[in-house]
This record gives sequence, C-alpha cells and structure tokens, in this order.
Amino acid sequence: MTRWGMVIDLEKCTGCQACTTACQMENSRLPNENWQDVLFYNEGTYPSGKLTWLPRPCMHCEKPSCMAVCPTGATYKTADGVVLVDWDRCIGCKYCMIACPYGVRFYAEEKQKSRPDIREVFPDPEGEKVWSPPWRMPDHLQNNKIGVGIQPKNVVSKCTFCYHRISKAPPGTKDLDPSDPTLREFTPACVVTCAPGARYFGDLDDPTSEVRRLIAEKRGTRLLDHTGNRPQVYYLAGEQPAIPETRTVRRSRDGEA
Amino acid sequence: MATALLTNEVLRRYLDLDRRPDALSIAMMAFGGIAAAIGFAWVFHDLWRWGHAAFNTSSDVAWGAPIAFYLFFLLSSSGLSVLASADSVFGMNVFHPIAKRCVFLAIVTLVAGFSILALEIGHPFRMLWALPVGMQWHSPMWWMGVFYSLDLLLLIVKFWRMHIGDWHSRFMHLVSIASFVVCILAPGTLGLVFGMMAMRPAWYSPVMPMYFILSGFMSALAFITFFTAFEPRASTPPRLRALHESVLPRLFFLALLAVAGMRFGQILTSLWSNYEGMEAHWHVLGSDAFRFELLLGLVLPILLLSTNGLRRNALVRFAAASLAMVGIFLARLNLLIVGQVVPLFKGYWADYVDYWPSTTEWMLIPAGFGIFCFAYGAGHWLLRLGDDPGPDPALAASPR
Ligand code: SF4
Repeated sequence: MTRWGMVIDLEKCTGCQACTTACQMENSRLPNENWQDVLFYNEGTYPSGKLTWLPRPCMHCEKPSCMAVCPTGATYKTADGVVLVDWDRCIGCKYCMIACPYGVRFYAEEKQKSRPDIREVFPDPEGEKVWSPPWRMPDHLQNNKIGVGIQPKNVVSKCTFCYHRISKAPPGTKDLDPSDPTLREFTPACVVTCAPGARYFGDLDDPTSEVRRLIAEKRGTRLLDHTGNRPQVYYLAGEQPAIPETRTVRRSRDGEA
Repeated sequence: MATALLTNEVLRRYLDLDRRPDALSIAMMAFGGIAAAIGFAWVFHDLWRWGHAAFNTSSDVAWGAPIAFYLFFLLSSSGLSVLASADSVFGMNVFHPIAKRCVFLAIVTLVAGFSILALEIGHPFRMLWALPVGMQWHSPMWWMGVFYSLDLLLLIVKFWRMHIGDWHSRFMHLVSIASFVVCILAPGTLGLVFGMMAMRPAWYSPVMPMYFILSGFMSALAFITFFTAFEPRASTPPRLRALHESVLPRLFFLALLAVAGMRFGQILTSLWSNYEGMEAHWHVLGSDAFRFELLLGLVLPILLLSTNGLRRNALVRFAAASLAMVGIFLARLNLLIVGQVVPLFKGYWADYVDYWPSTTEWMLIPAGFGIFCFAYGAGHWLLRLGDDPGPDPALAASPR
C-alpha cells in the first residue's frame, strides 16, 4: 500500500512562499490561514548573523497526536497515510489544535488580522460556510468528508496533502513528479508550483521511490522527532548545520534581541 | 385539566411551594435571573453577529477564557461532590448537615459549566451524537465526557434519594460510592486532558490530575464557606456550629496549603527549566491575574484562616472564601494562558501570543453565575437544602 510523504530540500528552497500562495488558491484559505507556511529564523548577531527559513506543511504524522486526542473520530488517517478532518463530524472542540506539536491546524472563527475582513466582503449566501470566495475549485470537488473545499463554519481545518489530487493518482505511482505532464494534475499544489523544485512527493513505503532515495542519501530529518509523532515530511538540510532551532520565543532575559 | 392538577400535586409533593421564599432566595433568584438574562442576551447576540470570532481566541490560543470558566465550575462541582461523600461514603457524619446542600451545589455548578461549554464549542448539538458514536476511547476528552455525564446522572439520583428522605438505604449507599468514584475520575480525566499533552510542556505533568482534584476540592470548600459563612446563629446547635466555625474552615485552610504547595512546586520547576515552552512562566510572572491568583487568592486566604480566633469570625471566613474563589477562577485562566502563550512552531518572528478575553467572553461570567445563582436561590427556597436527618441509625448503633 502506498504511504504518501514529502521531502523538502532546504538547500534548494528560496523562501519565496509561492507554495503558500498556491496552497491558498487551491484550497480557498483565508488570509493568514496558511496550511502551508514558510517560517523565518534569524540567528546569530552581526557580523555572523544569518537568516534561514523553513517551509512547513502539515507533517501527516505516522502516529498523529491530533488524531489520538480527537473525541469524535473526525480526525482520521487514510489507508495511504494522510491525516484528514471530516468536517461533518468535527464538533469544533479544538483539542487537536492543542495537541498538534507543529501548529498546523486552523480555526477560521477568529478575528482577522488583515483588513477588510474578507469573510464580510464575500459572505456565504447560505450562511453555512466561512465565506464564498469568487475564485474557488470546481464545486464537484468540494468534499467535507476529507476536509477539501470551502470550509463550513465552526470546524477545524488543515493541509490535506491536496487529497483531492493525490487520491486520483494512477495506482502504483511511486513518485508524483510535477515535471511529468501525466502526473501533474495529481501532484499537491505546493509541489507543482515550487519553482526551484525543492519539494518531492512520493511513496515512503516503496524502497525504489525518489523520496526514499533522497531521505537515505541526503540524511532526511524529521522535525521534533522526540514527540514520537513520526512525521511523513522529511527535510534535507544538506551542508547547513541543521534545520533551524525550533524555539519560537526568544528570551530577553538571555540577552537575545 | 386533570393533567394540570396531577402535575400540581406532584410538584407540591416534592417542592415546598407553600413556603414563602426567604430574603436570600429572593435576592439570589433576582440577581441570578437578571445576570443570566444579560449575559446570555449579550453572548447570543455577539455569536449570532460574529460567530466565535467574537471571542479573542485564535488558531494560536485555541482554548481561552470560556474553557477557564468551564474548568472553574466543573472542578468545583467535583470537589463539592467529594465533600458530600464524606458522610455518605466514609461515615464522617459531622458533614451530614451540609451534604444535601453540597450535592445540590455540585449539580448546579455542573449545569453552569456545561452551559458555558455549549457556548464555546463549535457544534454543541453535533457533540451529542458524535461523542457516543465516535467511541474514541484513546481520547482523554472522550473519557471526560463519559465521566462527567455519569457524574451528573449519579448526582441527580443521589439528590433525589436525599430529598425523599432516603439517606441510609443500601441503594443510597451504593449510589454514593459510585458517585464518589466518578467525582474523582472526572476531574482526574480533565487533568489528563491537559497533563498528557507532551507538546505543551507548561501543562505536561503526571501531577496535573492530582492538582485538578485538589484545587477542585479547595474551590468547593470556598463555595460552601461562601454560602454558609453567616449560617451559624446564637440558636444554632453546637454540632452545627462546630462544623461551620471549626471543621470546615480548618479543612479549607489545609486545602489552601496543599494547593499552594503544589502550585509553588509547579511554578518553581517551570521557572528553573530551560525547556522550550517553559519560558511562558517568566512571561506571565508579571501579569496582574497571576499576582492576584497567588497573593490574594492563596496567600491572603491562608493568612486569614490561620488562627482559631480568625476562623470563628464569619466575616473573615466570607472574605477568605470570596478571595479564594476569585483566585482559583484566575488560576484556571492563567493555566490556559501559560500553556498556549508560546506559539507552537511559528518561527523567530512570532512573539508571545497576545491573549486577553473579549467582552463577549467576559459576559459568560454573568451568564454562568446567573444560572448558578438562580438555581441555587430556587433550591434554597423549594428543596430544603438544610435537611439533616442525623447520623445513620445502623452506624450509630454499631460500636465503631
Ligand atoms: S476540533 Fe474537530 S477534529 Fe479537532 S479534536 Fe475536536 S472534533 Fe476532532
């Protein structure tokens, strides 16, 4: 059975955030609701300071803590290894948001940081969905069971690895390479759009897949591995010392600006 | 017509409808009714207008003040239930006179807590089928739902038996034992909801269930002291006097000390630790809510209840109970903030998350307390909460 996973080569990634934008357009996300985000880190001080970045989709963990805490079973894992939310079953308790170590789950019912509030500019005429964007995926792709499409109100959302695309891939596909025109429409939007080709998507259970080769040969690393969630997104740090330190808030008492 | 008569008769059998409500009942029902009406009208209006965006919670602070209020009520309810079991389970009949009142208070606090949760959660009605159908036994929240539902059921049965005068039957004893077990499991599981979260280091602790049970017991003592501080009069029998002026305040004092000890350990560990996420404690150290919780909500009540002379003074007891209630209320809020103020995995450019409840969230206080006060006032009037049939004759006869 296929077990989908992603590899992100940090040596190739330019931090351009095209993936963030592509994801937003593909999945009709609200501003700031970045299922796929790029995080920035500045480390060290002059003259040896440096800026680093880290693209961060949902990790689609092997043992997802968000799924373990969900009291209704709305968060589930598909047979091909993708963690999804059933919007018709989610009660909006937000426990999964508490339990995700990577902060990749979103609740749209919050004050918008940017103005105008896009939800008020494009309200849903039926009042059931969060908004009604003028640009959206075809209606027949809307599927609440896999958390794809325009989001209903009061439920949690997250990256689906573009499940509406990858689930249609021809059986036995081991790598979804966007440079192959026959596979492009089945490849996640962020992978398709990545200009430097820093993203790879394929079957982690197939030892001959490109993602497996990259992980083995270029020392694929997983984020926060100590949590035991075992992400299915791997990073290639190359010659860099490591992926950036994960600490979010720096302590002023340590003298760090 | 016949149905109306029958209903009337049944009501009269169980409720003291012919009794005139005393000043306390009238005051509590009036205050509670008005507070609940204002609170609910406000919150419903805002939710209708803006949805849950009326709250200041966000994808970073997913659980805010409403969950803190909910914790406050649910944990107090469990503590009250423990207090009510002291007599019926452990035979400590000194607690007999407050047992029925405690059970009623436990029911009312639980209902107030559930009402707040219904306003916080995205789909409260969906929850009613999705939880039982889901059978997600690996989720601590699912177990919490199971135990608190059982808790409410058992409390209602227990209260009903007390109300019809069955305090000492075998059935009542079994219900009391079951209720006691559940009222320990329920707050314990609620503690696990937080304590199991390894990805939230400021919460992650095997001691969290114990802290929830203990602090719930402390706030239950604050509740009962608050409502009975002025109860003993010159004519009060010595046994009852001793309960109010000596036993309860001493127990309250001890519970405060135990909570202060646990809290001190928690804070010290967190301030010392260099583990990511623990810096949240340094951050909240400067907040007024944190200072109130520790200084006015714990230290001052401990001082107020520290001597026999002070404990005998009704006004002092009342002040200590009021301060402890506000303190524990803020403790719940501080707990919520400390676990979420450090955003998970947002890069260096993110700072501590800004969170302070919105007006809509604050209005849940009059809503919740309103329900509580109204129901308590009505119970005080109609349900003979001070019933005290005396110790179990079977136990009194035995030589223990
Ligand atoms: S918010 Fe929805 S998906 Fe998340 S834990 Fe609650 S029910 Fe499950």
